[in-house]
Amino acid sequence: MKALGQLAVICAIALAAAGGTWWIKGPPQRTLPCDPASLQPDEVCLAQIPADAAVLWVDARPRDEWQRNGLEGSLLWNLDPAEDMQAFEAAAAVRIIETPRVIVYCGDENCGVSRQVAQQIRALGLGAEVFVLFGGWRSLSEAGRVRGSSPKP
Amino acid sequence: MKKIRYTCMMVAAMTALAQAAGLDFPQALKEIQAPADAKVVTAEFEFTNPTDKPVRIVKYDAACSCMAIKIKDSKLSYGPGESGVLRADFAMGNFSGTVDKVVALWLDDDPADKPSVKLTVRVHIPVLVSLEPKTLKWEVNAAADAQTIRITMNHDSPIRVTAVNSSSPAFQHELKTIEDGKLYELSVKPLEINSPALAILRIETDCSLAQHRLQQAFAVVRKP
Repeated sequence: MKALGQLAVICAIALAAAGGTWWIKGPPQRTLPCDPASLQPDEVCLAQIPADAAVLWVDARPRDEWQRNGLEGSLLWNLDPAEDMQAFEAAAAVRIIETPRVIVYCGDENCGVSRQVAQQIRALGLGAEVFVLFGGWRSLSEAGRVRGSSPKP
Repeated sequence: MKKIRYTCMMVAAMTALAQAAGLDFPQALKEIQAPADAKVVTAEFEFTNPTDKPVRIVKYDAACSCMAIKIKDSKLSYGPGESGVLRADFAMGNFSGTVDKVVALWLDDDPADKPSVKLTVRVHIPVLVSLEPKTLKWEVNAAADAQTIRITMNHDSPIRVTAVNSSSPAFQHELKTIEDGKLYELSVKPLEINSPALAILRIETDCSLAQHRLQQAFAVVRKP
């Protein structure tokens, strides 16, 4: 019985501490935080890119996802063996001449395809500045930048 | 005495939690030298559960439709000391050169954004038709001198260039055979250099392997 009482006291203290933290610091962060200081050299936070910046967005997700909710004006370039890589290269080359700043995104912060696609774009040797978007499509969605999304606090 | 027993129990519990974290993969990177005509290459990753708790593979993902993952006997739970094999089949498509493919594994309570295992399949694919450089560049208003792409065939049997097509009339090109079936030079010159321009040069060959047959190079006049 004494143990149950102690357990109840511990739970009450924990609950009060959690409530206090919520009250002081606000609700937990559910969006993906991006700290420019901890980025890899080829990565960029979405917040670092002005909304009106001249950027060629490259979507490295599968074609059906790009068609469903890719960023408007983005170019598809993924590593699907069923796709025509040379068509991706040609389409990118045409756009890079006009817009030499390229940002590649894939599904989320855990997806490595965007980095591989970024390397392939650099390998074209067209002189483009190529970055990988930290957080990928997830960060675009959280910022309300893609179809059907709205900004998250 | 009670305090000591409590401390020991806590240490034991923490140790068990830490061990429950994983499967042991002796080789997290597999390198494969693929033959030029390979369509699919396979890498097998052996693993063991070195902990004293069962470990469950909750999810695995290769982040590329070019990679199919299978776990031997579709077994996802591994008791202490049990071993298994993860097989990754990589469809080569028209990749060439060195390609890294990463497989992520989420175990037990891994958060969605932090898989506890990452495995890499590194495939070295022969480049049968090599273009050097792949892109020729001129600056706007600079000298419009001709530049050359060297086309080298790296195959047992000869590979010949059968045609070169340019997407733009703003450049002229000329193909020279240096050594039939082995080495060619493609000379390219912009006809005018006052404004940005791009040509996509498609180089057709008689290579018997379809994925190497057609190559692409670029000629670009760009702003400095």
